[in-house]
Amino acid sequence: MANSLSIEGVRAGYGAVQVLEGISLAVRDGETVALLGTNGAGKSTLMKAVMGIVTPSAGRIAAVIDDVEHDLVGKTPEEVVDLGIALVPEGRRLFPKLTVQENLLMGASRRAARGRIDENLAFCFETFPVLAERRGQLAGSMSGGEQQMLALARAIMTAPKILLIDEPSVGLAPIFVARTVEKIAELKRRFGLTVLMAEQNFTQAIKIADRGYVIVHGHIEFEGESRESMQNNDMIRRLYLGM
Amino acid sequence: MVTADLLANAVVAGLLLGGFYAAVAIGLAIIFGQLDIVNIAHPAFIIAGAYTAYILNSRFGIDPVLIGVLAAPLFFLAGAGIYRVYYGAFERTGQESLSGLAFFFGLMFIIEVVLILVYGVDYRLVQAGYIGESWRIGFVDLPFRMLVPFVVAVALTAGIYLYLARTFTGRAIQAVAQDRLALQLMGVNPIRVKQWAFGLGIATAAIAGALLIIIGPVEPSVGRQYIGRAFAIVVLGGMGSISGMFIAALILGIVESLVNTFMGPSWAPAVAFGVLLLTLALRPSGLFGR
Ligand SMILES: Nc1ncnc2c1ncn2[C@@H]1O[C@H](COP(=O)(O)OP(=O)(O)OP(=O)(O)O)[C@@H](O)[C@H]1O
Ligand SMILES: [Mg+2]
Repeated sequence: MANSLSIEGVRAGYGAVQVLEGISLAVRDGETVALLGTNGAGKSTLMKAVMGIVTPSAGRIAAVIDDVEHDLVGKTPEEVVDLGIALVPEGRRLFPKLTVQENLLMGASRRAARGRIDENLAFCFETFPVLAERRGQLAGSMSGGEQQMLALARAIMTAPKILLIDEPSVGLAPIFVARTVEKIAELKRRFGLTVLMAEQNFTQAIKIADRGYVIVHGHIEFEGESRESMQNNDMIRRLYLGM
Repeated sequence: MVTADLLANAVVAGLLLGGFYAAVAIGLAIIFGQLDIVNIAHPAFIIAGAYTAYILNSRFGIDPVLIGVLAAPLFFLAGAGIYRVYYGAFERTGQESLSGLAFFFGLMFIIEVVLILVYGVDYRLVQAGYIGESWRIGFVDLPFRMLVPFVVAVALTAGIYLYLARTFTGRAIQAVAQDRLALQLMGVNPIRVKQWAFGLGIATAAIAGALLIIIGPVEPSVGRQYIGRAFAIVVLGGMGSISGMFIAALILGIVESLVNTFMGPSWAPAVAFGVLLLTLALRPSGLFGR
């Protein structure tokens, strides 16, 4: 069954501050789409708008989950999550005083996820062996890289159909970034996810993205229909590849 | 003179008293420790629990512990309702710190005044077969009016501990104060979790109240003696840790009992704050903060 996300002409911001100035983008069924943009471009704000954390002042956000279309604007974050959309948020936002295992179990709170708890937990431990070793450790005492793994695994525990990931590479050493990106690809294959990933690290993001968008000051400046068209784009070469 | 049997009796009496303190503080460990809500009316709810036990015991002769257990669901509903009001009036608009404190202060006053108007300021007590009884093991006395509350308090603490650790709602209660938005991203409504947790905390007051009136006679304003103690225990226990709270309660009970035995009862009220200040000076996160 198909799962997709479509955003049309979305404007949003914080109080008087307008951040998104009419964004349109789409993630089609089974795609991994990269959302590129420098600091302050509005990547996180867009993800928050999808999740119902910030409310758009104009535009439309809709998701198709298992062939059923849902209007996301006006829904609370928990309602959006309950449809089958998960966000790995900026800053990871783990529960620092809960253990690794308790964090993972928190992910399985929603009804649809509870039935698959054993299967998903086993999968997370198999995919991220460090989480299995550290299952009794408090999340707050994990290293940055381990926390990123846990944040990803916790989102998987919600049994999503659409996964939004906000800058998985932030704060990680290059080797960890490469590994994390590979894990994302693995999760996507295994669960047949539809993925939207915000990144600043173009080289890593393009390894797993089917295509992407570049967001600048709250506008979509460029839309690349394929990996090649992204790699050959002048602006991307200038901004991200230093050419 | 410090003799072995005096010391042993003081320690055992303190242990039993400490167990009861755990029942007094456990609701606050949830409401203040986990939810960060400064419910200074908590001891007043315990007094309301004690009067519930008194009323049903004197009228129908029901066992006070049983009354506590039966009244708990009603207290739960009252707690959930009160949280709704508190949330709507203060928390939603971010005014919880000062106005919220005034709200609970007012609630405490209302409970006290209503009890005084209806029942006066006389001490009230309950009847139960075991209240005058006691066991004697060697030279140590185990009066049932202390032993029964201790056993019930241990069961209550164990139950709440397991509930928080093992259930989805229990873990959500622990999570809600740590990161509200993250909880929403798990698909959980934080307001509902807090409402449930607040109800649960108030439900424990029904049981703690029954224990209080088994230990000794109660009048409407005795709750005040427990405000400082209960908050001290929660802070000592590391804010929200149930096992930490339990050990802190036992320590406070024992120290109070020793002070009472060897220095005199007039010192006892100062003990909670003495232990609290000393601990915070040495370990700012409490004895068991994690
Ligand atoms: N809570 C907030 N209140 C006010 N302004 C905000 C808030 N969050 C973000 N902004 C502003 O919105 C703009 C876009 O921020 P956003 O977090 O969406 O950028 P981003 O593309 O995710 O950047 P980064 O890569 O640095 O995370 C920035 O100018 C930022 O200062
Ligand atoms: Mg961001």
